Amino acid sequence: MQMTYVFTELKQGLRRNVSMHLAVVLTLFVSLTLVGLGALLKFQADHAEEHFGKINQVVVWLCNDASKASTCTGKVSPAQKAAIIKVVESNPEAKGYHVESQQTAYDKTKRLFGQQYQTKLPADFGPDDLRESVWIDLKDRHKAAGIMSAVQGLDGVDSIRDSRGLVGPIFKILDRMQIGSLLTAGILLMAALLLVANTIRLTAYARRREIGIMRLVGAGTLYIMLPFLLEALITAVAGVALAAIALTSFEYFAIIRGVSDLRLMPWVDWTDLRMAVTAAAILGPILTVAPTLLLTRKYLKV
Amino acid sequence: MIRFEKVSKTYPGQSHSALDTVSVDIEKGEFVFLVGASGSGKSTFLRLILRESQATDGRVHVAGKDLNRLAGWKVPRLRRQIGTVFQDFRLLQNKTVAENVAFALQVIGKSRSDIERLVPETLELVGLSEKSERMPDELSGGEQQRVAIARAFVNRPMILIADEPTGNLDPTTSLGIMKLLDRINRTGTTVIMATHDAGIVDQMRKRVIELADGKVVRDEARGAYGYEN
Repeated sequence: MQMTYVFTELKQGLRRNVSMHLAVVLTLFVSLTLVGLGALLKFQADHAEEHFGKINQVVVWLCNDASKASTCTGKVSPAQKAAIIKVVESNPEAKGYHVESQQTAYDKTKRLFGQQYQTKLPADFGPDDLRESVWIDLKDRHKAAGIMSAVQGLDGVDSIRDSRGLVGPIFKILDRMQIGSLLTAGILLMAALLLVANTIRLTAYARRREIGIMRLVGAGTLYIMLPFLLEALITAVAGVALAAIALTSFEYFAIIRGVSDLRLMPWVDWTDLRMAVTAAAILGPILTVAPTLLLTRKYLKV
Repeated sequence: MIRFEKVSKTYPGQSHSALDTVSVDIEKGEFVFLVGASGSGKSTFLRLILRESQATDGRVHVAGKDLNRLAGWKVPRLRRQIGTVFQDFRLLQNKTVAENVAFALQVIGKSRSDIERLVPETLELVGLSEKSERMPDELSGGEQQRVAIARAFVNRPMILIADEPTGNLDPTTSLGIMKLLDRINRTGTTVIMATHDAGIVDQMRKRVIELADGKVVRDEARGAYGYEN
C-alpha cells in the first residue's frame, strides 16, 4: 500500500479543518477530564467507605457508670447485654454484629486521634470512661427503623448511633459530584461525537472529487478511509493528552499539595490517577474512531 | 466480457424501470456505441457494469464475474479492470497532468517503479508527453479529455467505459478523441461509449446498441446513429 497519498491527504485534512479539529480536541479534552474526575471521585468514595466503615451500620452504645439515660442503672449487666444481643440476633434487618469492649474502644480512640489529642484528655482517662458497644451490620442500608426501635428502650442501652447519618452526607456529596461530572461529561461527549460527525461530512464533501475518482479506479475502502481514521486518531490523542495533563495537575495541586494535609480520610493517589487516565485514553479514541468508521462507511460507500 | 441476462433495474421510489429485461452480449475487444435519448437507460447500463448499482432482476456478468453475487469488498478489484471517462473530465485541479494520471495508480497501491514507467508511456499514447507538468486549467477541453483517458487507461483495463466523452468538445477535437479511443480498442480493450454524437457514430461504423425507455430497441453490428432507410 502506497502511504504517500494517505499522509499527504492527512496533512491537508488537518490543515483544511483546523478550526473544526480544534473544537473536537477541546471538547474531548474537557469531557475526558470530567470522565477522569468522575472516576477519581468514585475512587475517593471507595477510600472513604473503607476508612469510615460500612455505611450500612448501626451502633448500639451500652451503659457505663457515667450514663444518664433512663434505661441505665449503672454499667450494663451481663444479663442485659445478653438480652440486647438476643434482640439483635433475632431481628430480620440485621445481617451480623460484633461487640466492641471498653478496652477495644479505648485502643481505637488512642490510635485514631493520636498522641496530640490524648494530651488534652484528663490523666485518669481510661477504658471505663468509654462505653461498650454492639456494631450491627444491616442487610439493607435503607432499612434500619425496625431494629432501632426494637433495641431502643431496652435496659442497658444508653443510645443508638445511626452510622448512615454520620457518614451519609460525605457519601452524598461524593455521589452527587460523581453523577454531576459524569452527566456533564456525557453531554460533552455527545457534543464531541457530533463535531466528529460534522468534520467527516465536511471533509468528505471537500474531497468528493478525489474520493469519486478513487472509487472508480478501484481503491480499496480502507485506503479511502485511512486519512479520515488517522485524522480522528490524531484529534483523540491530542484530547487525551490534554485531559491527562489536566488530571495529573489536579492530582498534584489539588490533592497532594492541597487537601492531603487534612487527614480526614485517605485521598486518591497516583495509582487511582493512572486508572482514571487509562479510562480517558481508552474512551477518547473510541469516541472519535467509532463514528468515523460508521460515517465513512456511509459517505464513502464503494 | 460483458453479459446482461434479462436485466431490469428500478430505482427506489420510481414506478417505471430504468432498464427493462435487457439482454446483451459484448465480446472482448469490441467497440460498442450506446445510443438513445436522455433517460433511455444508458447511464444505468454503465452504472451496472461498474457495480455502482445492482440489477433489480436478471444477471450482469463482467469479466467472468456475476455482479449480483460479487461481495462488496471485491468491487474495487473489479473496477481496476474497468477504466471510466466522463463528459466533464473530472480531473483534480490541484495536480499536474502527470500527477492526475499517476493518482489512479497510487491509490490502488502500484509501486513507484510501475508508476514511473506507466505514466510517461500512457501520456505518450494520448499525445501529451510535452504537457505532463501542466495544470489542467492550462489545457484545452480536448487535452483535458486526453488526460482523463490516460488516467482511465494507465492501469491497462480490460474494459473502457466512456460516458459521452465528446459531449463538451467541438467536432474536430471529438474526432481526435475518437481516434484515440479506437487506438485503445485496437490494443484489445473493450470500449463501450454512450453518446449523442450522430456524426461520430455514423463515421466509425461500429456496433450500435440503442436503448429507448429502458429496452434495447436496436443492436446492429456496423450501425449508424439512427435507423437507416
